[in-house]
Amino acid sequence: MAAHLSYGKVNLNILREAARKDLREFLDKCAGSKAIVWDEYLTGPFGLIAQYSLLKEHEVEKMFTLKSGKLPNADVKNIIFFVRPRLELMDIIAKNVQSEDRLHSSRDFHILFVPRRSMLCEQRLKDQGVLGSFINMDEYILDLIPYDGDLLSMEYESAFRECYLENDQTSLYHTAKGLMTLQALYGTIPQIYGKGDCARHVANMMLRMKREFAGIQNQILPVFDTLLLLDRNVDLLTPLATQLTYEGLIDEIYGINNGYVKLPPEKFAQMKQGEASKDPPTEPKKLQLNSAEELYAEIRDKNFNAVGAALSKKAKIISAAFEERHNAKTVGEIKQFVSQLPHMQAARSSLANHTSIAELVKDITTSEAFFDSLTVEQEFMTGVDTDKVNTYIEDCIAQKDPLIKILRLVCMQSVCNNGLKQKVLDYYKREILQTYGYEHILTLHNLEKVGLLKPQTSSRNNYPTIRKTLKLWMEDANEQNPNDISYVYSGYAPLSIRLTQVLARPGWRSIEEVLKMLPGPHFEERQQLPSGLHKKRQQGENRTTLVFFLGGVTYAEISALRFLSQMEDSGMEYIIATTKLINGTTWIKTLMEGISWSPK
Amino acid sequence: YYVTASYREKKLESSLSLLQNAVDEYNKAKNDFAAKATEEEMRLLRFQRKLDDEKGAGLLGLSLQVTMETLLSLGLHKQAEQLYRDFKVPDKRYWWLKLKSLAEKEEWEELEKF
Repeated sequence: MAAHLSYGKVNLNILREAARKDLREFLDKCAGSKAIVWDEYLTGPFGLIAQYSLLKEHEVEKMFTLKSGKLPNADVKNIIFFVRPRLELMDIIAKNVQSEDRLHSSRDFHILFVPRRSMLCEQRLKDQGVLGSFINMDEYILDLIPYDGDLLSMEYESAFRECYLENDQTSLYHTAKGLMTLQALYGTIPQIYGKGDCARHVANMMLRMKREFAGIQNQILPVFDTLLLLDRNVDLLTPLATQLTYEGLIDEIYGINNGYVKLPPEKFAQMKQGEASKDPPTEPKKLQLNSAEELYAEIRDKNFNAVGAALSKKAKIISAAFEERHNAKTVGEIKQFVSQLPHMQAARSSLANHTSIAELVKDITTSEAFFDSLTVEQEFMTGVDTDKVNTYIEDCIAQKDPLIKILRLVCMQSVCNNGLKQKVLDYYKREILQTYGYEHILTLHNLEKVGLLKPQTSSRNNYPTIRKTLKLWMEDANEQNPNDISYVYSGYAPLSIRLTQVLARPGWRSIEEVLKMLPGPHFEERQQLPSGLHKKRQQGENRTTLVFFLGGVTYAEISALRFLSQMEDSGMEYIIATTKLINGTTWIKTLMEGISWSPK
Repeated sequence: YYVTASYREKKLESSLSLLQNAVDEYNKAKNDFAAKATEEEMRLLRFQRKLDDEKGAGLLGLSLQVTMETLLSLGLHKQAEQLYRDFKVPDKRYWWLKLKSLAEKEEWEELEKF
């Protein structure tokens, strides 16, 4: 079931198994039948660890979502709350417990805090007079969740907002802890590189935690050679750009959440062959997307313009395979053919799914609006007219296009121009407030605070220098048979990935000047390995780097790293970790202030 | 934070006074843009209340653009014009709006006039 996690160079299934073991142990502590009450936010991430069947094996009979008021009826001995340590959730739990106590008395209550228990929350429960009702109170440390064969995510959505806007470093603590867990399973990582303030903090915390465990030597042969910590604010530009890989576009248009995407059902109605689906489905179609699906693994990282060709090639292979049956003459041959049938049928339905998705995506990418925004984005990235008010943005505001789209473009212009002239910035801000409402002034403040929008302070714009030194813009990006990472944005090579690439070869010393222009310190640390664990590298063996994006990473950036891993002469394989998978829209959304007018 | 508080406030009077506090704070922080934007919001709110009282237009709390849109669709061209001048709305955006609203109502004669 989780086979896709162990395909890669690093077997991430080990991590998942460790997480499952902890979960089982907790469940077994509560003897008897159980009902789980879920903090809704957690169900997605938990789905990546354990399916319902695992819970069922441990006598979990019912599952509810945490809501205020009474608990739904359930004839079970134990009620377990799975929650994040948030005060507002504690109040709900207290109400749940109180109403339940009046009815029955023989219930056992338990709480499992994810990822850490908190004194404040326990105090809150005590104040509400229900702390004594809980038999078990435990924490379930779920920092890094295996998301795919080469990808770990903390699914911690607000990390960027907390770090850069609210100066709250809780997420960095979880990150450091998560990395310690990882090192306990996969060995100490000898080299740590980093760029950015948060990266510095995380590295410091890791080194301190290691000192606290001094004496206990980790005897596992290290799997990772290098850890690279990157702050999202070192590269603010990349997430603002529209991703042009297949997976990136699906995320931009429909949103991928915890590995699942919801799609409009119409396109999928006709292809269910006799599966009792006469009525048109009204529920959105939910699909899981990961590398366990052979076809998806093949096309997810391609530029969308190359997906069509790949799909039709696949279609030919599949129909050729079905044709084989005419050639099967002997019983043995027929038997062999039949044994392959399930696999072939799976391949065919997967092909049908992706053809439908590709059609849906194509409807959008061929629209005029999509093309126009993309043109403007590319103009900004190549440095065309970034210093004056852009007429396309003006028109979009006049036509009240979605606010987030406007914000993405304006921020992009600001980043590519190293800040906007005061006059230009004020003009945009006024336009936005007058059109979308004054309440967005708070969102604009937030964007300024994290540096996405800013007035130009020095007259020198250093973006062109950065662009040239790091070759961020490649004129002749080859979308069909890429030879450079710039294919993921059809020309723009993500800054974050260029930094990673240069680090591997020739090293950061060659770009000292540019690194100084980007925010935050860059550093290098070494962790001593016990003697005897120094790997004797064989000729031609690849090195492995774990790249950790603090504050989120986009699917296109992941694709670019996978591309680098596959390049024959790179000699480096990448595993990716992040606080959350993001795109420009979801990212800006976490920075917005959600207030609206109350009727007076 | 006064701005957030003013949105929670049910009564317009107290919202306005909270916004006035926000203006003072913005001035103290030398954030001219925000101070001016907040003053404009207060002016807009007062204008909306006046029209709501007179015509029952239901404008309170709408953004400037939507207010103008509503006025035009109600046929209150003069008032929309006044906002356009008072708040120095860029010509381009206002003409877009006016064209769209007239076209929607199929007032081709009015459209001919400019």
